Amino acid sequence: MNDYQSVYLALSAILFALGAFGVICRKDAIVVFLCVEIMLGAVNLAFVTFSRANQSAEGLFMVMCIMAVAGAEAAIGLSIFVLLYRKTGSINIDKFNLLKW
Amino acid sequence: MELLGIITCGGAALACALFVILSRNTVHSALWMVGNCLALGVLFLLLDSQFIAALQVIVYAGAIMMFIIYAIMMLNQRVSDEDSFRKSLLSGRFVVSFLFMVCLLGLGIGLSPMALKGTMGPHARVQYGEINLLANYIFVQGLAAFELVSVLLTAAVVGAVFLARRD
Repeated sequence: MNDYQSVYLALSAILFALGAFGVICRKDAIVVFLCVEIMLGAVNLAFVTFSRANQSAEGLFMVMCIMAVAGAEAAIGLSIFVLLYRKTGSINIDKFNLLKW
Repeated sequence: MELLGIITCGGAALACALFVILSRNTVHSALWMVGNCLALGVLFLLLDSQFIAALQVIVYAGAIMMFIIYAIMMLNQRVSDEDSFRKSLLSGRFVVSFLFMVCLLGLGIGLSPMALKGTMGPHARVQYGEINLLANYIFVQGLAAFELVSVLLTAAVVGAVFLARRD
């Protein structure tokens, strides 16, 4: 029985490539963060596809771990954005080329 | 029938991802991202992963996106790099990242196997139920990783409080 796995994997690849494209070409830090979330979602889709193909729970467990990591990333990343905005008044990532000021 | 669902929800997810990248307003980007998360949730349902679909809707579309919209509200900037992004559509940066996207796409589709073979017993998920299977994995084999994830989340919360403190 063909379960359209190649369709799911192709969709995951396209979503990941779109996310990577957005990370590279956008300059707004929050949009870059959203594009990272798109990439994480694409990886989740691939994990769930492989998990169903192998009838195992490892992929689902990895998806749960990725969701937890995404939550931690959101907490740290957004507080860094707030900090940078407080210091410089902008969240354009082209302006952040200093590690210390 | 499943193919119809895949094409509909996959197209919705791709369109939402495109609008996240292309929209000028940051709040609109965040709202399109919610649409992307919901479409991915429906795809997880089509893949027989009801628990992961529920987690996707609750954690991503609920908690994380609420957090991001809250941060946008705190940063108080609605239209971001409007001019610069429109101008950069034909610049070298855009062309290079577009080529990078095409290469990544070719790599991803080229590396993905056309047919996967199951290694575990057939239809274990149908027989035992998905949550049963997942809980068995988490609390037997994946216990150390599960506890380390809780440590990671605690560290993230402490770090966020440390970063946001007033001097």
